Amino acid sequence: MISLTINNVPVEVPEGTTILCAAKQAGVRIPTLCYVEGLKAVGACRVCAVEVEGARNLVASCSMPAAEGMKVLTNTRRVRESRRAVVELLLSEHNGECQTCDRNEDCELQALAAELGIREISYVGEKTRKRLDVSTPALVRDMGKCIKCRRCVSVCQETQNVGALFPQNRGFDTVIGPAFGHNLSTVACVQCGQCAAVCPVGAITEKDQIDDVWKALDKADNHVVVQTAPAIRAALGECFGYPPGTLVTGKMVAALRRLGFDAIFDTNFTADLTIMEEGTELLTRLKTAILGDEGRGAGDGKNANESNPQSPIPNPLPMFTSCSPGWIKYLEYFHSDMIPNVSTCKSPQQMFGAVAKTYYAEKLGKKPEQIIVVSIMPCTAKKFECQRPEMDSSGTRDVDIVLTTRELGKMIRAAGIDFASLPDEEMDAPLGLSSGAADIFANTGGVMEAAIRTAYELVTGRELPLAGLHVSPVAGLDGVKEASLKIEGAKPEWSFLEGVTLEVAVAHGLGNAEKVISAIKSGEKQYHFVEIMACPGGCIGGGGQPRYTNNKVRQARIAAIYREDEGKKLRKSHENPAIAQLYAEFLTEGPLGHRSHELLHTTYTQRDRF
Amino acid sequence: MTEKIANQGELTALRDALCKTEAAASAAGHLSIRVCLGASCIASGAEKVVKALENEIAERSLQDKVSIIGTGCMGPCSGGPVMMVGDVFYENIKPQDVKDIVAGHIGRGQVVDRLTHKRPDGRSVPHAAEIDFFKRQKKILLRNCGRINPRRIEDYIACDGYQALAGTLERGDADKVIETMRASGLRGRGGAGFPTWRKWKFTRDAAGDVKFVVCNADEGDPGAFMDRSILEGDPHSVIEGMAIAGFTIGAKRGYVYVRAEYPLAVQRLKIALEQARKRGLLGKNILGSGFDFDLEIRMGSGAFVCGEETALLTSIEGNRGEPRPRPPFPAVQGLWGKPTVLNNVETYANVPAIVLNGGPWFAAQGTERSKGTKVFALAGTIKNSGLVEVPVGTALGDLIYDIGGGIPNGKEFKAAQIGGPSGGCIPKHHLNVPLDYESLSELGAIMGSGGLIVMDQDSCMVDVARYFLEFVQEESCGKCAPCRVGTKRMLEILNRICNGEGEEDDVERLIELGEMIKDTSLCGLGQTAPNPVLSTIRHFGHEYVEHIRDKHCRAGVCPALVKAPCSSACPANVDIPGYISLVGEKRYAEALRLHRERNPFAAVCSRVCFHTCEDKCRRATLDAPVSIRGIKRFMVDQEVTIQLPEVRENEFNAKQKIAIVGAGPAGLSCAYFLARLGYRPKIFESEPRPGGMLVQAIPAYRLPREIVAREVRMIERMGVEIYTNTTLGKEVTLKSLRAEGYDSVFLGVGAPLGLGLGLPGADAEGITDALNFLRTYNIRGSVPVGNDVVVIGGGNSAIDAARTALRLGAEKVTVVYRRSRDAMPAYEEEIEEAEHEGVVLRLLTAPIEVVYEEKRATGLKCTPMRLGEFDRSGRRRPEEGGDAFVIPADQILVAIGQTLDLQQITKDVHLEVRNQAFVQIDPVTCQTSEKWIFAGGDAVTGASSVVEAVAAGERAAAGIDQYLTGENHAFWRKDREVDTFFDPEAEPSESPREKLNLIPVERRRGNFDEVEQPWREAVAVCQAQRCLRCDYGKRCAETSG
Repeated sequence: MISLTINNVPVEVPEGTTILCAAKQAGVRIPTLCYVEGLKAVGACRVCAVEVEGARNLVASCSMPAAEGMKVLTNTRRVRESRRAVVELLLSEHNGECQTCDRNEDCELQALAAELGIREISYVGEKTRKRLDVSTPALVRDMGKCIKCRRCVSVCQETQNVGALFPQNRGFDTVIGPAFGHNLSTVACVQCGQCAAVCPVGAITEKDQIDDVWKALDKADNHVVVQTAPAIRAALGECFGYPPGTLVTGKMVAALRRLGFDAIFDTNFTADLTIMEEGTELLTRLKTAILGDEGRGAGDGKNANESNPQSPIPNPLPMFTSCSPGWIKYLEYFHSDMIPNVSTCKSPQQMFGAVAKTYYAEKLGKKPEQIIVVSIMPCTAKKFECQRPEMDSSGTRDVDIVLTTRELGKMIRAAGIDFASLPDEEMDAPLGLSSGAADIFANTGGVMEAAIRTAYELVTGRELPLAGLHVSPVAGLDGVKEASLKIEGAKPEWSFLEGVTLEVAVAHGLGNAEKVISAIKSGEKQYHFVEIMACPGGCIGGGGQPRYTNNKVRQARIAAIYREDEGKKLRKSHENPAIAQLYAEFLTEGPLGHRSHELLHTTYTQRDRF
Repeated sequence: MTEKIANQGELTALRDALCKTEAAASAAGHLSIRVCLGASCIASGAEKVVKALENEIAERSLQDKVSIIGTGCMGPCSGGPVMMVGDVFYENIKPQDVKDIVAGHIGRGQVVDRLTHKRPDGRSVPHAAEIDFFKRQKKILLRNCGRINPRRIEDYIACDGYQALAGTLERGDADKVIETMRASGLRGRGGAGFPTWRKWKFTRDAAGDVKFVVCNADEGDPGAFMDRSILEGDPHSVIEGMAIAGFTIGAKRGYVYVRAEYPLAVQRLKIALEQARKRGLLGKNILGSGFDFDLEIRMGSGAFVCGEETALLTSIEGNRGEPRPRPPFPAVQGLWGKPTVLNNVETYANVPAIVLNGGPWFAAQGTERSKGTKVFALAGTIKNSGLVEVPVGTALGDLIYDIGGGIPNGKEFKAAQIGGPSGGCIPKHHLNVPLDYESLSELGAIMGSGGLIVMDQDSCMVDVARYFLEFVQEESCGKCAPCRVGTKRMLEILNRICNGEGEEDDVERLIELGEMIKDTSLCGLGQTAPNPVLSTIRHFGHEYVEHIRDKHCRAGVCPALVKAPCSSACPANVDIPGYISLVGEKRYAEALRLHRERNPFAAVCSRVCFHTCEDKCRRATLDAPVSIRGIKRFMVDQEVTIQLPEVRENEFNAKQKIAIVGAGPAGLSCAYFLARLGYRPKIFESEPRPGGMLVQAIPAYRLPREIVAREVRMIERMGVEIYTNTTLGKEVTLKSLRAEGYDSVFLGVGAPLGLGLGLPGADAEGITDALNFLRTYNIRGSVPVGNDVVVIGGGNSAIDAARTALRLGAEKVTVVYRRSRDAMPAYEEEIEEAEHEGVVLRLLTAPIEVVYEEKRATGLKCTPMRLGEFDRSGRRRPEEGGDAFVIPADQILVAIGQTLDLQQITKDVHLEVRNQAFVQIDPVTCQTSEKWIFAGGDAVTGASSVVEAVAAGERAAAGIDQYLTGENHAFWRKDREVDTFFDPEAEPSESPREKLNLIPVERRRGNFDEVEQPWREAVAVCQAQRCLRCDYGKRCAETSG
C-alpha cells in the first residue's frame, strides 16, 4: 500500500493506482475527458492535470501513478486555471452547433464547460474543419465536432482489436478517422458503435433514422410492427432519468403503442426460436464430429453445413454464436477461414423480420410488402445487418428500419409522451411471447446459458441441475469465461453424447474474441461451443445504448436482465408455447427443417480489409 | 585484412601496425590531403574537387607520394569545399584550383596563398592551428571528424578506436563503467541534460532480461547538424559508445533511429556497421568476451516530435510517432515495454573517449555543473558558419565573435536562437552568458541539441518567434490539447500582430497561453513550444509593442507593416521610394514636397542624416544600397524659392496658445506640423539663433548655416514666431507660460550639457567640454584652440570637435577612444574624413589622468585597453591592459556624453524623469506626466540624431492636437499615390552606387567650406533609377505614425 495526501487528506491505495483513482477513493472529483475506465490512459486532453509537490509541471492524474509520500493538490488556482484554459482551447476548436447537436444536453464537453463555470472562450480562432462521413448505414462521423480525445481510437484498437480509427496529420490539422482520410465504409469497420458509445461529444453517432419511422407510421396502409431487443428494457429508462438497471418493459410497450405501432412484439420471441435452431445445429455438429461420417446426414437428414458446401471440414467445431452482427463482420474481415464455424442461424432480429413478414403476414392476410418491421436495438451494427443483401428471405427486406435505444428515447420524447407516468402494458401476441432464456440474450453468457438450458434438457430429458438454472461460470464481466458440462444419462437418440464433457467459452468485446480465436487456432484450447458478443458486457453494453456505459452500469443492466429472467414462469426456450405453435403451424419440419433453413439461416461473406 | 579481431591484444596489435605504417609513410615524405566530404562540402562541390585532385595527381604520377583522404565535416562549412594539405588549410576550393595546389603546394612546397584562410585584416593564415576558428576550439568529440576516413574502420582503429570497448569487455565490470560515467559528469546532449550515468544505472537496475540501447539520431532542430556530422564523419564512435552502453545495462540489441533525410549519414553508418560486424566488433562474442551485441538502423520520416524519446520508441515499434505519458520512463518500460537506454548521437560519441581517458579527464573541461565539451552548429548571419566544439560554459559572445568571426556586412548582432524551436532568443546584452544548461535556462533558452542561429538587426523578433512557433505547431503530433490548439492560438495571435492587427492585450495573452502550454503539455515538444515566443517577449518586448501599438516593424520584415524597408527604417517615415522615383523623373519640386510631408528639414537631412534607410535598402543584396542621401542632396539643391507645404487653416486652432521651448530640430518640427494644422505656436530659444544643435554643434563644413536658415525661415513663414535669447527657467518658466494662458507646451530643450571628465586633474586649464567648444565657435565666431589637441570620446561631437580644431589651426589633433573603432558611435564617413584630414585616432585607449603644470594641462595620461567581456550594449567591455603613457596636449576637448539640467529647466513643475536625467513621456503622443506638457528630442532620448528629433516633433504635434481637440488630424500620415512610372518586369538598372563628391583634403584646412558637393543631374537621375521600388503594389494603406 502507498500513502499519499490529496488536498492534504491522507489516502492509502495499492501500488500502481493512478492519482485519479486515488482521488476518487478520497472523494475528490478530478474532471476528465479523454479518460476511459479500463483502457490505457493516453493523457491527451490534459483536463485532469493536478499539482504534485516537487514536480516542475502539472501532471496528468489519469496516467501518473501515486507514489509514497506524494502530495497532490487538485484545487489550486494553477490547477483551476489550467483546466479552464484547456477546456476553453477545446471549445475554441470544437466546431459544434450545440443547439442542434445530437448530443445537446448529453455532451461531456458541454457538461465540463458548465462544471468549470466557463462563460466565455478567451481564445478564438480557426475551428476544426467540418467533414461528414455518412458512408456507412450505422454510423455518422462529424469531424468538425471531434476534439481528438482518442477515446474512439483506444476503444476501437484496444477493446475491439479492430483499429479502424487513427490520428492522422499533425498539429492543428490532426484528424481522427480511418487511414488515409478514407470513409468508414472503405475500411474494416465492424459498425459495433463502441466509438459512438464513448465519444464525449457529437463527433460519432448512430445514423439517425427516427424520421424514417415516423414516415412509416404516417402511411395509413402500412402495418408497422416493432420488435424490441432484450437489452432495451434494462436501459431505456436511463433516457428518462431512471438509474441504470431499471426495468421498464411495461412502460416501453405502452410508449411504443402510443407512438402508433400496429403491433408491439419482442425480439425475445425469435431469441427463443434461435435457441431451438442453434441448439439443434450444435447437437447436429456434435453428432457429426463424434460419429464422423456416420453422423453426416444424420439428425433428421439435415446437413448443418449445407450453406458452405465447399468447406473442407464439414460441421466444424467449435461452433460460434451468430447473433452479434459486429462479431460476424469482424470474423468476415479478420478470420474468414473460420466462417464454417459460425452457426448459420440468423440473429434474432433477422429471424423476427423473416417470421413477421411470412408467418405473421399470412395470419393477417397481408403481403410481406405491407408489413413494415421496425427494430429497437441496443446496437448500431444491427442497422448494417438489416441491409445485408442476403437478409430478404421474405422476398423483401426482412427488417426495414433499426433504431437504437437512444433513438427510441428521443422519439418518445419528441412525441410528447411522459414516460414516467405511463402504465405497464403487455406485448402483443403471438410474436410478443418469450421465455426468460430469451431475456438473457442481452448480456454476455446469456446465449450460452439459454442454449445449455434447452440442449441439456433435449439430450437428457431432465432440467439443467444448476441453481436457478444459471450457468454461473459464464456470467459476469470477465473477458473470457469457460465452463464444462458433463452429459450423463442421455436419451437413447443422443446416446453418442453420453459421458461427453461439453467445453464452452464465452467472450465479449472483440479484443477478447481475438484471444479466444488465437487460443483455438493455436490448438491451445478446444471448445465445442463459443458465444461471442462484439460489445463489452454483451448487448446491454451495445453501441446504441444510453451513454455513458461503464462496468458499473453494465453490471446494473445485467442484474436487471437476470431479474427479468427469474421473474418469468417460462424459463426455457423450448417451453415457449408460441414457438411450439410456430413449429406446428408453419415450420412444420421442425428445427433445421427446409423452411426454417430458408427463413432462419443465412450465409457469410469473406471481406477484404482494404 | 577483414578477419575478425579475436581479442583486445589483436586489436592493439592492429592499431600499432596501422600507426607504424602511417608514421613510416610520413617519414618518407608522404603527404596526406584531407578533403572534407561532409554533406555541406559535398553540396558545394567537394566531390568534384576530389575527382580533379585524383586526375591531377594521376597526371603527375604522384600517387605514391600523396594520398587523398575523404573525411567527415571539418567544421568551417561556410568556407566549403575545404581541404587540408598536411597542416595547411585551404577554403572555397573549386576544381580548377586543384592544379595550383598540386603544382604549387605539392610540387614546389609553396603554400597557395590565394586559397588560404584570411583574417579580417586580409592577412593570410595558412596553418590550421593558427586560424581563430580552429585554435579556440577544444575537440574531444570531433577529434576524428575531418581527420579520418569514416568509411574505413582501420582509420578509426588507428586512432584508438574500439579500445574503450575492448577494455570494458576485458574488465567485465559494468559498475565500473557507470562509475566512470558518473565521474565524467556527462549529461545528455540531446537537450534536457539528464546525467547519462543515472539513466544507465536506472536501466541496468531495471528488472528484465531483454533490454535495449537506442540512439536518437532524429536531429530535427532547424539549424542543427551536429549529429548528422558525427554520423557522417565518425560513425564508429557512436557504435562503440552504444556497445559500451549495451554491455553496461545488459542489452544485446540496439537501434539507431535516424531520419531518412540524412542519406549520407545512413550510408556511412551502414558501412561502419558492416565493417564492425566483419571485424567482430559487433555481433556474437565480441572480442572473445562472450558479450553479444548488434545494432539495427531504423529510419524515421522526419517528424520533429520523434526526437522526443517516447515518440521515438513508439515509432521504432512501428506505430505513429507520438509521445506517451511518462512514467513509465524508458529506463523501466521502453522499447516494446522493455528497459531501454536512449541517448542521442553526441552523447554516445563522447563515451569511448571518456572510458579511455577516465571520468576526471572529461570533467576537467566545462563548468561546475556541466562538464566536458559541447558541439554547436553555428548558422544564420555569422561569418564562419559551421560545426564547432568548445568547453561547456564558453561565453556566447566568444563563440560568435572569436570562433564565428562575428556578423558579416558590418551589421549588428541582435540575438542568438539557441536550442532550436524549443529554445529561446538571447539578446546582445547577454553575450557573456556561459553556454551551459543552467545559465541558458535562466535566460529562457535551452541548450537543446546545440543549434545556434545568429541573427542580426535585419531579423524581426516577432517574425522569428512566429517562424519557430509555426514550425512547432506544424510538427506537434496533435495529441494533447494545449500543444495542438494552444500553439495554434498563439500562432494566430502572432500572425495578427505581424499583419498589423495586434490588439492591446495580445502580449499578455501570449504569455498566459504560453505559460499554460508549458505547464500542461504531454511531452517536451509542447512543454517548450512557447519558448521562442516567451523569450522574445522577455528580451524584445518593445518590438512586440512597436508592432501592436505603432504598427511598425523596426527590422523591416513584416510585409503588412513595411511599405518599403527604407521608409520603415526612417524614423520620420519619409516616403523614400516616392521621392526617389520623382527625382528619377526630374520632378524635383514634387519630390521635395513629398519629402516635406513627413520631414521639413530635407536640406538639413540631405547633409547630416545618418540614413538608416540606406542600411535597410534591398538593393544591397544585389550590389550596394541606393545612395538615398546623395539623391536627396541633389533634390534639395534644385529648390529656388522655398515652397510651403499644405497648411489647413483652422480658426479654432489658430486661437490656441502653444509654446515650444527650444528651436532645435525637435521644437521646429513640432511647430512645423502644428502650423500645418492651423495652429500658431510660439518658440522660445535661449541662444541668439534658432537651430539648436544644427547651428551650435554641427560644423558649417558639414551643414552650411544658410541651409538651416532657409528651412527655419520656411517654418516662420507658416505663422510660427521664434523668440530668441529666452531661456526656460530664467526669462520664462513652465508656470509662467501656463499663467500667460498657454494651453500646451512642448519641451524641445535638447541635451546641451557635456558630461564632466571626472579624472584627476580634470579641472586644469585647457580642458573644455567639446560641445561648449563647438557652440562657442559656431555662435560667437571664435574660440581658443591649442596646438596639441586631444579629443576624448568616439561620438559625432568628438569628431566634429576634432575636425573643427584642425580647421581652426591646431597642429595635431588626436581622438582618444577606449573601445575599438567599430564600436565608435560617430558616423563612419565622418570618422573616415577626419582621418583623411589628419586627425589621429588612438583607439582602445582610455584617459586616466590629466597631466598639468601650473594648472595648465600639458598632456593626457592614458592606458591601453584590451577588449574583455561583453557588456549590456553587446560590445566588448574595454579593460585596462598594459603600461600607461602620456599624450602631450595643451587642449583637451571632452566629448563623453550629453545631458541636461532638467531640475533647472522645469523647476516649478514636477515632471517624471527617466534615467535620472531625461523627460519621461508617452511614446506615442509625447505627453509628459503633466498632461499639458509634451516633450521630444534629445531632452527625452539623450543625444540622438536630427531625424529622430524631427520624428519626435511630428509625434508631439499630433499629440498636442489630440490633447487640444480630442481627435487625430495628422493628415500627412495618410499614404499618398505617386504617379511615377515603374515597370516591375524590367531588369534593375545596372549603374553602380556613386559616392558624393568631396572637396580635396588640402582645400579644407583653415576654412569651413562645405566638404560634400552635389552630383550632376545625370548622375542623380541615374542613381535614383537604381531604386528597386519595394513599395510597388503596396501603396494606399494607412501608414504608421
